[in-house]
Amino acid sequence: MFPRLIMESFLRQRRRKLLAALAILLGTTAVTAMLAIGTSVGDKMNRELAAYGANIVVYPAADTLDVQVDGINIRPATAGSYLKEADLVKIKNIFWRNNITDISPELPLTVTVRTANATQQVPATGYWFHHALRSGDASWTMGAPALHPWWKLQGSWPSSGGNAIPNEIAVGSDLARQLHLHLGDTLEVQNQPERVAGIVSTGDATDHTLLVPLALAQAWMGRPGVVRRVYVSALTKPEDALARKDPDKLSPKMHDRWYCSPYANSIAYQIEETLPHTRAEQIRRIAQGESTILSRISGLMLLVALAALLAAALAVAASMTTAIVERRQEIGLMRALGATRNTIAGLFFTEITLLALGGGLLGYLLGSLLAGRIGEQVFGSSIAFNPMLLPATLLLAVVVSLAGSAPSVWQAMKMEPATILREDA
Amino acid sequence: MSVAATRPETIIELRDATREYRGHAGTVRALDSISLSVSRGEWLAIMGPSGSGKSTLVNLLGCLDRVDAGSVRIAGKDINTLSRKELDQFRAETVGFIFQQFHLIPYLSALENIMLAQYFHSMTDRKEAMAALERVGLGDRAGHLPSELSGGEQQRVCIARALINQPPVLLADEPTGNLDAANQQIVTGLLRSLNQLGHTILMVTHDPEMAQMADRIVELHHGRIVAEREASLAPHTS
Ligand SMILES: Nc1ncnc2c1ncn2[C@@H]1O[C@H](COP(=O)(O)OP(=O)(O)OP(=O)(O)O)[C@@H](O)[C@H]1O
Ligand SMILES: [Mg+2]
Repeated sequence: MFPRLIMESFLRQRRRKLLAALAILLGTTAVTAMLAIGTSVGDKMNRELAAYGANIVVYPAADTLDVQVDGINIRPATAGSYLKEADLVKIKNIFWRNNITDISPELPLTVTVRTANATQQVPATGYWFHHALRSGDASWTMGAPALHPWWKLQGSWPSSGGNAIPNEIAVGSDLARQLHLHLGDTLEVQNQPERVAGIVSTGDATDHTLLVPLALAQAWMGRPGVVRRVYVSALTKPEDALARKDPDKLSPKMHDRWYCSPYANSIAYQIEETLPHTRAEQIRRIAQGESTILSRISGLMLLVALAALLAAALAVAASMTTAIVERRQEIGLMRALGATRNTIAGLFFTEITLLALGGGLLGYLLGSLLAGRIGEQVFGSSIAFNPMLLPATLLLAVVVSLAGSAPSVWQAMKMEPATILREDA
Repeated sequence: MSVAATRPETIIELRDATREYRGHAGTVRALDSISLSVSRGEWLAIMGPSGSGKSTLVNLLGCLDRVDAGSVRIAGKDINTLSRKELDQFRAETVGFIFQQFHLIPYLSALENIMLAQYFHSMTDRKEAMAALERVGLGDRAGHLPSELSGGEQQRVCIARALINQPPVLLADEPTGNLDAANQQIVTGLLRSLNQLGHTILMVTHDPEMAQMADRIVELHHGRIVAEREASLAPHTS
């Protein structure tokens, strides 16, 4: 009888229930999407944010950081020491290797450029563009473009030339304007002809420089296989108290914990370990920015999800209040037939639970689809259905719906059968 | 199988029962120190002008309400001593209601409406419910929704429902108030045969002719019993 009663009564007041179910559906859709994104994209988002700059710089220990004025290295190119390009792959062998998303070496120098009308000294920097870094079977594509996704390129990045010395370069947009260079033009650099493969707009001082394949810069300098400094982009854990500790002063146990946490500092420490005679330093400002943005975005997501759930609870409350007022005669009758207060509450709660499960299930499916879409659109990778979220979503839907309807069900329980029955008599 | 008249057993006993309603406009004393006893198998008609407290009395006897003062004993139990839960159970076991407005659940069929009373009482029994429908002459309407039944038929379903758990007391608040003459006659006939089978019936009515069917008539006025007499037309003298 009870199932029959529930089913029949469930099918009544369909429009109102549809509205409540819709509210639950929307709420759980938002929550599922948020949870799906939150759990599977935390990493992706971090990666995405990491794209907005390096968070570790590596340079020779004998050196101090390059003296840069307006982004241009004013140290004599011959001064100081260098890192070995061949060593860089070791960075992908450290404990936190999978957190390393990009390695971008640089070799700055000053070169002589001759065009049809003028000869002049201009700054140039050797980069990896799409460099295939190999270690055993693994291979990664790394270089400056990945580290600076905001760089706008016309044309293409210079090819690295294989085993031969490359003969293509890219030109910063300001320099290109000044020298009247266009895509495909040829100019003479260090007395060699070079083709302009790309024109780059970076929004900073790089616009006044030549961007050349690392091998070309090394050839010009006559120092094969060297780099000046290396920028590393790594996924890191937001900095906390432990992150700021000096690892050499920590107890062995704490040192292990520090070492095994992906702090920018500990990753830098591991790079120093693996590349002797180097200094690796956290580029603090960016790393901190990342974690604040990330925590703000998750905070925002949480807020949206909570608002959606609150709205769902309110919608359920509103729909239940009217539903119960409309059915007071029925409640009175059931009480007169011997139904206890708990039976009445059970009846309504069962109905609401069914509604919540239905809405929650649909919300889960819709939310998962939505998360998938967002994953594709925003993070460029799909988010798989996470079946673990289903019970969580259903539970949330049920809890929210029961909470939303509790006040009106309580009202229904308190209704006195005598008063309800005499109302129309 | 009418209860022997030689030793009438008291099934309902009210002593100085008072019920007041407190509203914003002050207190209404709907029942004012009423004392009344009803024997098992008796058919009592309750009459009186509108607002005299008839429904209030029926609600008290139906355990839908409690007295503010005095006592109500039904089938030997003082209902003041029952907890709310016990009262719910006692109500399901002791009284069957027949309402002027029928109060059938609109989305359940005639048969299911009867089974609902079984459900809240103990457990459903389709066969028994069907037999009850047949007894009120609606065996062929079991699957109909209340909206597909006439007023008289709905009231018969209501009577079948009131009887299904074999309660010792039947309470009928203006059972024919919403019925035309023909249906009124059918329902009255049903009540009479039930009474002849030994059911105790308390019936509120405005219709003097109908009241004459009962064994005894009490008249309320402003919450007090102002007259009490044997009905002259009592069809069965036991
Ligand atoms: N729930 C209530 N709250 C306030 N006053 C009430 C309530 N129920 C009944 N009353 C008042 O108590 C008095 C008796 O009401 P009751 O319903 O018992 O009358 P009645 O004899 O059944 O009348 P009718 O013949 O019109 O059905 C009336 O004055 C009524 O206004
Ligand atoms: Mg009345």
